[in-house]
Formats: sequence, C-alpha cells, structure tokens
Amino acid sequence: MRKDVVAMVLVGGRGTRLGPITKYKAKPAVTFGGKYKLIDFVLSNLSHAFIDTVGIVTQYEPHALMDYIQRGSSWDLDVSDGGIHFLTPYTSFEGDKWQKGTAHAVAQHIRFIDMYKPKHVLILSGDHVYKMQYEKLIHTHEESDADVTIAVFKPHDDLSRYGVLDLDQNNHIIDFEEKPDNPKSDYASMGIYVFKTRVLNEMLGNNFNHANDFGKNIIPKALAENYHVHGYVFNDYFRDVGTIQSLYDANMDLLDHPEYLKLHDYKTQPLYTKTENLPPHHNMASDAVTNALISDGVLIMGRVHHSVLSSNVTIKAHAFVQDSVIFSNVTVGEHSEIKNCIVLEGTYILPRTKLVFDDVTVIDNETLWAMGGKRS
Amino acid sequence: MNRFLAIIDATSKEQLGLLTIHRMPGALPFAGKYRLIDFALSNIKHANIKNVAVFPYGNYRSLQDHVGSGKRWDLDRRHDGLFILPPKNMAVTSEDMISFQRMHEHIEHFRRSTQDHVLITQANIVWSIDFNSVLDNHIASKADITEIICEKKRLKTFIISKSKLLNYVNHYDAIPYNTLNDVVRFAPSVQINTYVHQGYVRYIKDTFNYLKGNLDMLRFDRGTQIFLSERPIISKEKTAPPARYESHAQVTNSMIASGSIIDGVIKHSIIGRDVTIKRGAVVENSIIMSNSVVEANASIHYGILDKSTVIKENTVIEGTLFDPYVTQKYQVVTNQSHINVLHVASEANPFVKTGGLADVVQGLSEHLAKRGTTVKVIIPLYKQVKARFEEALKLVESRVIHYGDEPCKINIYQMNYHQVDFYFLENFRYFERDEIYGYDDDCDRFALFNHAIVEMIDLFGELDLVHLHDWHTGLIPLIFKQRHKNPPKTLLTLHNIDYQGECKLDILDKLGIDYQSDFEQTLNFLKTGITHATKLSTVSPTYRDELRYEYYGKKLTPVLLKRERDFYGILNGISTQLKPEHDTSIAKQYSEKTLADKLENKRYLQRNMDLIENDNAFVIGCVSRLAEQKGFDIMLPALEQFLHKHEDVQFVILGQGNQHYIDRLEELKAHYPTRIALNIGYDATLPNYIYAGADLFLMPSRVEPCGLSQMIAMHYGTVPLVRQTGGLADTVEAYDSVTKQGKGFMFFNYDTPSLLQALHDAYTLYSKDQTTWKKMMIRGMQSDFSLIRQATKMLELYRLII
Repeated sequence: MRKDVVAMVLVGGRGTRLGPITKYKAKPAVTFGGKYKLIDFVLSNLSHAFIDTVGIVTQYEPHALMDYIQRGSSWDLDVSDGGIHFLTPYTSFEGDKWQKGTAHAVAQHIRFIDMYKPKHVLILSGDHVYKMQYEKLIHTHEESDADVTIAVFKPHDDLSRYGVLDLDQNNHIIDFEEKPDNPKSDYASMGIYVFKTRVLNEMLGNNFNHANDFGKNIIPKALAENYHVHGYVFNDYFRDVGTIQSLYDANMDLLDHPEYLKLHDYKTQPLYTKTENLPPHHNMASDAVTNALISDGVLIMGRVHHSVLSSNVTIKAHAFVQDSVIFSNVTVGEHSEIKNCIVLEGTYILPRTKLVFDDVTVIDNETLWAMGGKRS
Repeated sequence: MNRFLAIIDATSKEQLGLLTIHRMPGALPFAGKYRLIDFALSNIKHANIKNVAVFPYGNYRSLQDHVGSGKRWDLDRRHDGLFILPPKNMAVTSEDMISFQRMHEHIEHFRRSTQDHVLITQANIVWSIDFNSVLDNHIASKADITEIICEKKRLKTFIISKSKLLNYVNHYDAIPYNTLNDVVRFAPSVQINTYVHQGYVRYIKDTFNYLKGNLDMLRFDRGTQIFLSERPIISKEKTAPPARYESHAQVTNSMIASGSIIDGVIKHSIIGRDVTIKRGAVVENSIIMSNSVVEANASIHYGILDKSTVIKENTVIEGTLFDPYVTQKYQVVTNQSHINVLHVASEANPFVKTGGLADVVQGLSEHLAKRGTTVKVIIPLYKQVKARFEEALKLVESRVIHYGDEPCKINIYQMNYHQVDFYFLENFRYFERDEIYGYDDDCDRFALFNHAIVEMIDLFGELDLVHLHDWHTGLIPLIFKQRHKNPPKTLLTLHNIDYQGECKLDILDKLGIDYQSDFEQTLNFLKTGITHATKLSTVSPTYRDELRYEYYGKKLTPVLLKRERDFYGILNGISTQLKPEHDTSIAKQYSEKTLADKLENKRYLQRNMDLIENDNAFVIGCVSRLAEQKGFDIMLPALEQFLHKHEDVQFVILGQGNQHYIDRLEELKAHYPTRIALNIGYDATLPNYIYAGADLFLMPSRVEPCGLSQMIAMHYGTVPLVRQTGGLADTVEAYDSVTKQGKGFMFFNYDTPSLLQALHDAYTLYSKDQTTWKKMMIRGMQSDFSLIRQATKMLELYRLII
C-alpha cells in the first residue's frame, strides 16, 4: 500500500525537566488542559490532515502511552491500510538498537517507512502544544520542491533556548545556530520536519552507530551538503512544554487566552481525545467557581478560581483551589487551600492541608508524604 | 453466562410532546450527556447479556445513530450482538408496549438465538439494576413470568422463558392478549412472580417525569444510585473540551457537560454539551440540551430547551415543574413577549354556538388575553347575533369588495367582551339568514368570509399571527399567499375534520386565484388550509398522531402526513369553575375533602330519574351525542349484557341524535325500567346532575379528537371509562391493578368484549375496594385541565411560529 506521507512521531524523550510529572510516563502522555494528553495535539493534527499512516517511535516508559492510544480510534486513525504503529527499540542482527538521538531513532525504523514507499516523511514530536494544518506544510514543501522543510516560529521567550534558523526572502534556510547567544534571526525550529523520502534515506543511511539528532546533526549536515532546506513559517500558537513552568503557563493560557488554541471552537481543527465514560461534572457549591476549565466526572463542593481540573477530581467543602492545574482522580480535602500547584494524578490531599506557593510547585502523594503533617 | 437475551422495547411514544417529534423516547438526552436507552444498554452490558434486540417504532434514525454497532456496550460481536428490528409497517402506530405480533414479525431472531430466557425491558427507564439477580430470582420462583416493579411503578419489564414467550408469539392471532402486560393482568392460570427493585427508578413517560428525573440527578442521594463507579452508565463517545467557567459564572448545584461555556447564572439545572450561557442570563430548574445558546439577560425557569435552541436576549421563559416550557430543536425564541393575534372562526361564545368550537374560541381567546396577548376575534354576523347584540355593536368599517363579478358590501362591527375585541363581518346576502350552516352555498358564504378578511386585514393593525379554526377559514392562507408579498403567519386548528368544505372549483375563479396544477376536481377548504397554513394544530396530542391513519384521518391523511413536522397537538381545556364545589345547580356541593357529600347527588339523581334508590348501586352515567363515532355500536350490546349480569347496575344517559340508537335505548329501558333513565334531547335535564350523581362516566368513543365530558366527569369525581383514543388517551390515566394507580378505566380494541372487560374491572373495583376507588376519584378531581394550561401551551406554540 503506497502512501504519500508517512508520519513519524517521536515520543521517546524522558523530559527530565518535568521532574516527577514524567516519572512514570513519557512526556506525550502528560495531562494537559483538563482532559487531554499532549499527544492529542499531534494525533488530532494528523487526523485533520488525513495522514493516517503513523509510526509512534517510543522508548521511555511507553506503556501509559500505548494504553492510551491503542489503535488510534479516538482520532479516526484506526484505518485498515496504515494506521498507528508503535515502533519500539529492538535487538537485531546488527545489535541492540537503543536510541541515540532523534534521527537515530527514526533511522532504526527506516524499513517501516519503506513499506509504504511514501513521497515524504513527516517527522513530529509528541509533546508540542499547537494546532497546525500539516497539509499546508506538505504543500509548501512540494511547491518549493525542497529536500527538507522545517517548520519555524517566533518564540515568545528567550531565543537562546532554541535552534535558530536564518531565512532568506524566499524562505530558504541559509544558516543554523544551536542555542546562540546573539541570534541572527527571529525564527526558531519547531522540531517539525518534512523530508523527501529519498533525502531522508541518504542522510540517515549507514549512520546507525553514532549519536544522531535532527537538530544538532542532520540539519547542519544538510545545509553543509547544499541540500535545499526550506522554512515553513508558522504564526499560530506553539509551545514546547518542556519545563514545569512552561507546562503550567500553557495551561493558564487556556484560561486567560482562549483565543490561542480555540478549544471551544469546533470550526478550527477540534482537538480529539480519548474520552472515558463519565457523567458531566456536578457543581454542588453555590457561586463558587469562576474562570475555570472543569472536566467530566468532577465533583465540586468547595471553591475553584482560575484553575484547570481534570476528570474525576473531587473538591470537598470549604476547600479553595486557585491558580492551579489539577490532574485526574485527585481529591482535595475539606478546608484545604491550594495555590500555584500542579497536582498529579491520584493525589489525595487531606483536609486542612495548606499548599500555597509563590512559584509553581508539583504536588503528588510522595511530596505530601515527605512534607508530613504540615497543616493550616 | 449467556443465559438470556434482551429485548429493548422502544415501541411506545409516551406523552413527551415536542420532544418526540424528531426522535423516540429512548433517544432523548439525559443528565447532560447520556441518552435514555443508555440505561437499558448499560444494565444489559453489566449483566453480560450478549444478544440484544431493539424494537423501535417509526423514526429511529436518532436511536440508530446513537447505538451504532453497539460497540460501546460490548455488543459488536461475531455471534449475537445488537439488532435493531424495525416494524414491517413503518407507519405503525406507537403501542403501549411491544405486542406479540410485533415480535412475530421477527420470529427468526428468536429462533436463531441460543439463550433460554428473555428479558423484556423499556428504552426509557432511568435506573441501575442487576438483571442477573432478577433472573436468579425468576428461576428460583419457578413462576411463568417475573415482573420487575418498583414502589408503586410498573416498568413493563419482564423475564420469561423463551419457550413460553414463543408460545404467545406464535399464536398471537389466536390468543386474547396482545402484550405480556395483558397476560400478567388478565391471564388466569399464569404464575406471576413480582421482583421489587430497591433503588432509584424513574419511568420517563411525560415532560414532568423527564424534568424531574434529570433534576433528581442533582440530589446526591439519587444521583449516586445511578452513576455508580463499578456499574457506569455507558454512552456514545463524543469529544468536547472541558466546560469553561468565565468570570461572571454563578453556578449552584448543577450538572454541566463538557464543551459548555458559562458566564451566566445557573441554578439546579442540567446543561448538555457545548451549551453557551451568556452573561446576565439566568437558568433555573431547567434542562438545556446540547448546542443551545442562552443569550444575555434571558431567563429560563422550568424549561426544557431541545438541542440547538437559541434564546434571544432578554427573553423570559417560564414553565412549571408539572408543565415545563418545551422548545423544539433549532427553535429561536425571541423576547417578543407581546403577541398580536387574530382568531378567525365561524362561531364563538357567547354570540353564537352550535358546537364545542364556540367554547374553545371564547375560552382560549379570553385566557390568552389574560396572559397579556392582544386578542381579536372575527366571526360572521349572523341574524341571531345581530338580534341579540345589536345595541352593543359598533360599526367600524364599511367597504364594497368583489366576489366574482358581484359587488358585496361588507360591514365590520366591533364589541369588546372580557378583554377580547370581537369583530363581526356583515353581508346581507350571505349571512343574514335564519340558520348558521346548512345552505347549498355554504362554501360561497365562507369563501366570501375568507376573501373579505384578507381584503380588510389592515383593519386589525399589526398582527403577528392569524389563528384559523376549521374548514370555514381554510382558504385564508392561500388567499394571503396570492395577494401579499409577506403574508402574515397562520395557524390552522383542526377541531372537527368531518366537515371539510368541499365544492366546485369555480369558487377559486371568483376569488381570482390561479390554480392550474394545484388542485384536483373539487376544492376542499380544509385540505387547502392544511397545505398552505404556516403551522397546524389539533385538539390533543394523541389525535394528532391518529390522524396519520386513514381510519381517523379520512381523506386528509396524505396531506397531513406531508405537513407532519408542522403539526402539533394541544389539549383543549375546561374552566376551573366547572367543579362540584362551585356548582350551585346540583343537590349538594362537594369537593375532594367532602367526598361523602357526593352521595347526596347520587340519591338525588336516582330519585329524580325514577331509579331504584340504592346507595350501593353502581350508577353509570353518559352525556353524549347519540352518534356512531361516540361508540354506541359497542356500548349498547355491552350494556345489555352488563345490566343482565349485575342487578345493582344502573344507567343514566343524556343525549340527542340518531333515532336508531334512541330506539334501541328505549328497548333496553323497557327491559329494565327502574334501572335505566333516558334523557333524550339536549335540554332534557342538566348534565351536571349526571356528572355529580354517577359513579362511572362512560365514553367508549370510536373517535374522540379531544372530548371535554371526561374531564368534567373527573372534576366531579366520577371515574371515567373510556376507549384509548384521541383526547381520552391524553386525559385519562389508565388504572393499573398491580400498582392501584390511575384515574379511570381504559380499553383499546373497539369491540364489545373489550368494553365489557373494562366495565367488569370497574365494577369489581367499585364493589370490592372502595378505598382505592375513592383515591381514584380524588386523583381525577385534582387533575389540571384548565384553560390556563391550554392558553400557556398555545402561547408556546405561537412563539414557536412567529
């Protein structure tokens, strides 16, 4: 079965900067916006672009993610030709294939790509927050007849964290700098690439054994070898939520700037997710919830302000949650107060616990245990 | 494992009004994100039943769409699984419960199944029940049939062995029972085991139960009995973002499904998916279904907004728990609280009356006016009216219009009566006659009436709606369309379809109407009205449905079917003054608190009518036109047998009509001179004596669009016995011998044995269980059949049209 485009979604990274949030799961499986997982963005974008042949390249803690995605039916990706494939590291004739960088991870599964003989290979990261019409990206790639197209954006924060790309008038990429002190351009790489399949084969071929990263190694090499590298400028909302603070900020953007991701606007690429069988949330309090996103199955008896609540959260009477992100199955006990927290799945906060912080703090059962009986 | 197969009975339409125009009850949304059938399917899944058949009536698209392949309930299987078994005849009427005949249509399904027992349950019950325990209980009881009941409710849910069920199904045409319900009630030698389900149950049969059931989910003690984490209610997967509270949200004890955006006030309400409640809007004790929008400063109390309803800014919607305000899918409700309406009819009380129409026009217009509507009524000025009211009439306009080649002088008079402006259209040639109807040129007379109203419509100022009644007004929508670019909206109410106004086509020529292909050989006023009116209504919801069948709809069925989605049924009302506590004409006034005083009226009736004076006699009363459609063909033989069998039965009738029936009644009276009282002729006696004095009120009509007598009888504490048709089915709640609930006795098949059976049931209850009988009387007396209710519903319909 021949396909025009095969997507490779990289989900292997551990995301160490997210601390306990990624202790038992890969970053793409992290909860976002109440009822979503980070991977929903990429899978929904793929679904809307009718790209239905997808390799999920896993390594770190894959179980939560595999269990979540299954055959991809929630994103209409459970087609009979193509569909979702989990690509795990394996042992082969040539030895163990533990991933050494993003390009290395893709290189291991080059035979999977060849199976579909695609014209282009779309390389994606499973942990980005954005709604992109991939068909436009592919279209630009085909129209410019580029060998490689890289999606670029203007970061809202410090450019020196990113791989900065210098574009000419025709959006040809002429230079690449990794985390520069004095960047020459406003554009940074989003870590989203389209390769002509031939070019990908050329660049990844015979490179199995040393560390290999698209950003650090492949792109500079492509520029050096005079491949046609094109930039696709993306002007919409995009966040790489690699840190606790950026994950928190992106959640708060949903509350403060609903126009960024337009979750409630179904005309612009609705975000699909796997839904559980839960009743609508039940707000038993009176007039005590403002500026909040509340998922199904939530029971509210206390107060909630400026927060995002995932499914099956219980806020007991007289508890007060503000400026926080609460993951699923959390219980906040009576008279407890929570501010500036990300509370992880299944955390049980005893009555009269005060968790009020100036900086964003991640709370789980273990941190609570360590804190001991600190009650208000 | 795999011990039984399940049948989900979705053959009943219940009394859900607008909510079931486009869907069946099982497909109704519940608690924000479920459908009623999810409860049946989830209970079935949790019982590990793998073979499920859904029997729908009529339009089951919405249901089909929801259940799909049944995958969500693990019913997408290689063997067995989920089957939707539609009726062979798609136009089949909705039933009380699934009939054996209906099952026989799909007998192959039962033959192929491997399971030994059959569970039959309904698609519209909200509950969480372990069917496996019921089956264990059924097997242990060794009974033939186990019925599940809850408190005082019957749930039409049964377990029976497949072989026994097939026995009934295979011989459906030879046995006297149509359904399992009949078997349980009437079959003498069948062993019935009753399983009492503990826990929350609500049978969603009307809008009250629908609203109450939803609101019950807001009570922690109730909701937690349904949404158990170990036995979740499973529904179709849909994706929506989490509900969003904005900064002005004020929510008190409500359930809000995902995708909704809340910036207004919500109290004790259920909000479905993707609903928007804007700032300043207030929603209280209501159900808002998905995709609806409540705009700024609108307020909704006790409302049920169907999907995608839009409530415009500042609109006020006000219902009650027992009678919630219901909108229709995609309805836009504007804040126009003031409506100008013109009623056009051939008669209206207190000016001229030949039948019920006059009462309805007066009662409705008066109560609409009381509710703030500006109501005008126009009728022809008949000789009789002019004679009686000439002094009070004020001439407001005189014009000459042309009817064909003939110039006609039209005078319009006006008179205000009880806040309603009545107008009278005078034309000497056509209306200055001795009789109201019955002339060869009746069609010409009313064609002129219609024509003149359209010509002079400017007289009535701004109108939001012209409300037309019966055939006499049927040409108005067509004439409007031909003469006006923006014709006023019209609502045509069908009170009596026996008269349709049929005549030659030349009337259209006289009206200057172009009719090349539109018409057949003759002109039919009513049919023309049905085709061209903006919306249609009739006098009861059940009659509305019945008119889809030739049996009831006469020649109008095809044209009514075409207009089906614009056709509504609103029950007529009666005055709240029509009650025994206000009635000074009867022997002794009484109310539900002084029920014993009704006996005085019974004695008075017996004495006055020369019946044997016996307090314990079972007195059957009847006030009726003596006509075929009123059921005399089955009533007379039934009475004959019944009087013969029971010495203590008496019969009193007031009526006028067909001589054939009068003769037969006289014959019967000759047999039982002291047990039968005949009052032939409308003025023979006061009907109130019968309403007050009888024990049972007999009304076995073959056809009854609405019927008012049964309502009056109930107000007077006289238990009605009626056939299940039209307004009778909508007003009388049938007595159920298992739960002892109900307001009267009802039978469905139009034949003497069925009527006799019902008479026998009534007689038995009356003589054996006076306590239950009295409770039934009281329930009837407490019924709300008021004109206020009718006017409220009519106003809801007006708002839907304009």
